[in-house]
Amino acid sequence: MKIEQKIILSNAINVVFIVLIGLLAFQNLSLMLTKLRFVEISDDLNASFLEMRLSEKNYFLYHDKNSLFEIKEMIDAAEKSIDQAREDISHAVSEENLSRLRMHLKEYAGAVDKVSNAAQGDSNAELMLRAQGKRLRDYSKTMTQIERKGVNNMISSSKSMLIILFITVLVTAVLVSHFISQKILRSLRDVKKLTESISQGNFNKIVGAIPNDELGSLITAVNSMSEELSRREEELIQAKKLASIGVLTAGVAHELTNPLNNISMITQNFIELYDNFNKENALGLLNNIQGETERIEKIVKNLLDFSKPKEVNLTESDINRPVKKALRLMQNTLDVSNVELTVNLAKDVPHVFIDDNQIQQVLVNLLTNAVQAMPVGGRLYVETEADMTRGTVEITVVDNGNGIPREYLPHIFDPFFSTKGAEGTGLGLSVSYGIIKNHNGHIRVESKVGEGTTFTIELPIYKQ
Amino acid sequence: MSRIMVIDDEKIVGDMSRMSLEQEGYEVETFLNAEPALARLKEEQFDIVITDYKMKGMDGMEVLRTIKTMYPEIKVIMITAFANLDTAIEALRGDVHDFFPKPVKIKELKASIKRALQKE
Repeated sequence: MKIEQKIILSNAINVVFIVLIGLLAFQNLSLMLTKLRFVEISDDLNASFLEMRLSEKNYFLYHDKNSLFEIKEMIDAAEKSIDQAREDISHAVSEENLSRLRMHLKEYAGAVDKVSNAAQGDSNAELMLRAQGKRLRDYSKTMTQIERKGVNNMISSSKSMLIILFITVLVTAVLVSHFISQKILRSLRDVKKLTESISQGNFNKIVGAIPNDELGSLITAVNSMSEELSRREEELIQAKKLASIGVLTAGVAHELTNPLNNISMITQNFIELYDNFNKENALGLLNNIQGETERIEKIVKNLLDFSKPKEVNLTESDINRPVKKALRLMQNTLDVSNVELTVNLAKDVPHVFIDDNQIQQVLVNLLTNAVQAMPVGGRLYVETEADMTRGTVEITVVDNGNGIPREYLPHIFDPFFSTKGAEGTGLGLSVSYGIIKNHNGHIRVESKVGEGTTFTIELPIYKQ
Repeated sequence: MSRIMVIDDEKIVGDMSRMSLEQEGYEVETFLNAEPALARLKEEQFDIVITDYKMKGMDGMEVLRTIKTMYPEIKVIMITAFANLDTAIEALRGDVHDFFPKPVKIKELKASIKRALQKE
């Protein structure tokens, strides 16, 4: 179920709860009002019953027939008010109780009649009147008391019901929002972790059960973004390789032209001076041609190796190997650009677990940048070194070129950030950064305008 | 007999130039880099210096400038694997006699040498 539906559902349940309790409370209140009305009426009745008994007492004291007449009138009035209130109070008090009250009233009226008809001093009828009067008053009093108690009970039960309702709604709301926010937060934490790792160039995915809700769609979207980024990064690596080849071409052309020229000059002489050659001379020259074609083959193979898209192929390797390969590939570019190269490669350096071609590409990128930072030539220093305490192997590339302005330094590893205008793709360092990160390594830069730039690559030493 | 010096860090260029030019009756000396070649100029007189443009250490343009300053009568022919308009213009401004992109056509080189010597 989607989170939105869950929230709506839990809210709906709470609302239903509140409405139900509200209805119940409303019903209670109406009942209470009726009961109060009954209590009010019975108070009146009680008062009039009391008066009846007072008249009764008067009669017994003075034997005034008027007193009996008064009682009769009062009984009529009470009967009338009971009938009048019957509609209102029948909900509150059972019909049976009312009938019984009326019955007592009737009996009392009967007793009054009996006394008024009997001869004065009929002690039997008088006793009866007294007993009936007492019964009527007792009954009415008890009934009023019971109903009053009922009203009190109802008020206190409504109070506790309201408290229970309040606590239930509160607890449900807190539990539901806690549950949902926990769920949302957990997934958001996963997504945050993933996006952080993506921003560092590790294109992982969130694995495990993906919930079938909005968070699930978010996770799926982030996962497919990660996948897409990883694909794009491969494309970027390839694009940068092609861009590097553009830079390399100048150097490579020069490199190819020399052996071509050698072959050409030998064959021109061969054709021109064919008759002057003895077998030994001729073989020597043919061997030279063979050597020169091998030289060309090697250059072409290097270039092909470099340009070919390759699967990442991590192997245990000597860090000096890709460094040497990159320097060989760049040799002519360095020469042509009047760059004086100093190389200081550590001997017996601990092995690293790397893709030679990718590390070679990073170095070609760094060397190309260094050459471009030294338009009138300069000094380039390349060093490899092991740091046993940190468990790393370092490659350092130092140039004494233009340097990078301080405000650019935080951005130089961003994709498409370039200080070279149309010449740069802005991908070289970004791709290099990605490659080094994928090797669990670090790449750092220090630079000062006018003094030059130092790039340091750190790669972890390989442990079996 | 005219004397020709060839400076190129590609050994085969020197060897092949010597082979071809000696057939024409020139006296040829070859060098793999500029410094010993310039030293040699102090000892011997040469009519023509053929130099590569791009070399380790001192490059062809410096050789050209040095020769034009110290021995203005020597004709300099430049050959280069890194031929473009900029280098050609730079060489011409330095009063180069001729400028050949690699691969060098030996016949054209020989014709150029002949022209350079006739001008004398």
